[in-house]
Amino acid sequence: MHVELSNVTKVYEDPPQIVTALKDISFHVNEGEFLCIVGPSGCGKSTLLRMIAGLDRPSSGQIRFRGDLLTAPHSKISMVFQSFALLPWRTVIQNVEFGLEVQGRPKKERAEVAMDLLEMVGLKGSENLFPKQLSGGMKQRVGIARALAIDPEVVLMDEAFSAIDEFTAEALRAEVAEIHNETKKTFLLVTHNLPEAIELADRILVLSSRPAKVKSIVGVEMERPRIQTDSEFVSIHRDIFALLKGELENSIMRHRLSGLKEFKKLRDMEEG
Amino acid sequence: MLVAIFAIWESISLTGLVSSNELPALHDVILALIQLAATPFFLAHVGQSFANVTTGVSLALLLVFPLALLVGMRSQLDQAITPIIMLVGALPDLAILTVLVSVIGRGNVAAVTISAFSAFFPVYFTIRQGVKEIPADYFHVASVFKAGRAQTFTKMILPSIFPNLVTGLRLSFEFSWNVLLAVEVIASVAGIGTFISTSIGGSVHSLTYGLAAIMTVGMITIAMDRAVFERFENRIRRWR
Repeated sequence: MHVELSNVTKVYEDPPQIVTALKDISFHVNEGEFLCIVGPSGCGKSTLLRMIAGLDRPSSGQIRFRGDLLTAPHSKISMVFQSFALLPWRTVIQNVEFGLEVQGRPKKERAEVAMDLLEMVGLKGSENLFPKQLSGGMKQRVGIARALAIDPEVVLMDEAFSAIDEFTAEALRAEVAEIHNETKKTFLLVTHNLPEAIELADRILVLSSRPAKVKSIVGVEMERPRIQTDSEFVSIHRDIFALLKGELENSIMRHRLSGLKEFKKLRDMEEG
Repeated sequence: MLVAIFAIWESISLTGLVSSNELPALHDVILALIQLAATPFFLAHVGQSFANVTTGVSLALLLVFPLALLVGMRSQLDQAITPIIMLVGALPDLAILTVLVSVIGRGNVAAVTISAFSAFFPVYFTIRQGVKEIPADYFHVASVFKAGRAQTFTKMILPSIFPNLVTGLRLSFEFSWNVLLAVEVIASVAGIGTFISTSIGGSVHSLTYGLAAIMTVGMITIAMDRAVFERFENRIRRWR
């Protein structure tokens, strides 16, 4: 087991409110696996990913990487962000080199690694542009190259395709699937886009609404590339959607009852 | 624009609408300026003013920078400290100077202190704002790629707030120059202000020299902007 979560619970305390965002989450990710995490919005799936990245700590429970307890960011666990999070004063290549630079690797090595990756994501020739000169899709390509530059074993992707227009996202997903296939790295993608999860995942982890628990783990054993109109695709989509629909209604009801203001506060707490 | 103002000024004095005692002709002022530029005594005054402003601004930066960073990152600290800073900042510089002079006496220490005091405000607020505006994801990037405290500061925080720092310093110099001339007179220290007050109070041509000295301050400010701040801003504009 590459990454393993046991009874992970996350509680936010902002007296007098105490909110349980995640409750007793247990699952594992196998080496080389592509695991997608889906769930109703605001259920805490991004928090889950952030905890694996070491950016946040569980209130109780354990996260293990190769059997070792994870309490801080790990040099073999990398991340791709929804907002791209490129540093705007750095050029494309400087952004890709960021992780290696922090590690103190020699300049020549950094440049070689970065150029190889930029070629892989189709950005050769753009290495000296600044992020503001790039489209959303290009920015995320840089984000992916940056995440891969430190040669991670696990790549975490937090809604990585959500801020990109659908056509570009489609192409980028295909590229990520290819990268996964070639590198055999472990991928964890958090998404609210169900077809996206079915297209990429070996297994899909379905979370319930807040407090999020593991509702179901669905294996996807379709051949790749996967076509959305295939009957198997459609049937998996229908099954998971049925699971999520109930949760969605639950969460909408609860938000209405507890008032929109409180819901917003929760979301702010989680994001902050 | 500047050319138009100068043209109007020159034509007013040439037509004799205003007597040269009240407004000396532009060409006289320029001649005085050239003459002053060759006078070591005046240049020493200019140097002293420049040194006081620069020392004051540097001092303000040194003291305020760490505080502004801290306050920008910890909102509880911000809520505790910023109201006090705003209260102190609202006090008129020159009133404080008068008190300061009566406590520590006249001299360069008082002048530099007030210069720092007036420079302190823009730096504090621009840097505080800059730190607050750093997206949370930049901090996440620094953490995920395992940047230490020092690296997070040099590779992430500092470049993020650099545009704010440039704006803050630019305003600081402006603020500091604005009060300095009066400060010099009150604190009785050498400088352009003292030169102006003695020359205007003196001979028939003194107003001419006074205006020439004021123009010197303007030229220093413009030169500073062109040589330092605009270069930085051009660099920032490449990526921002």
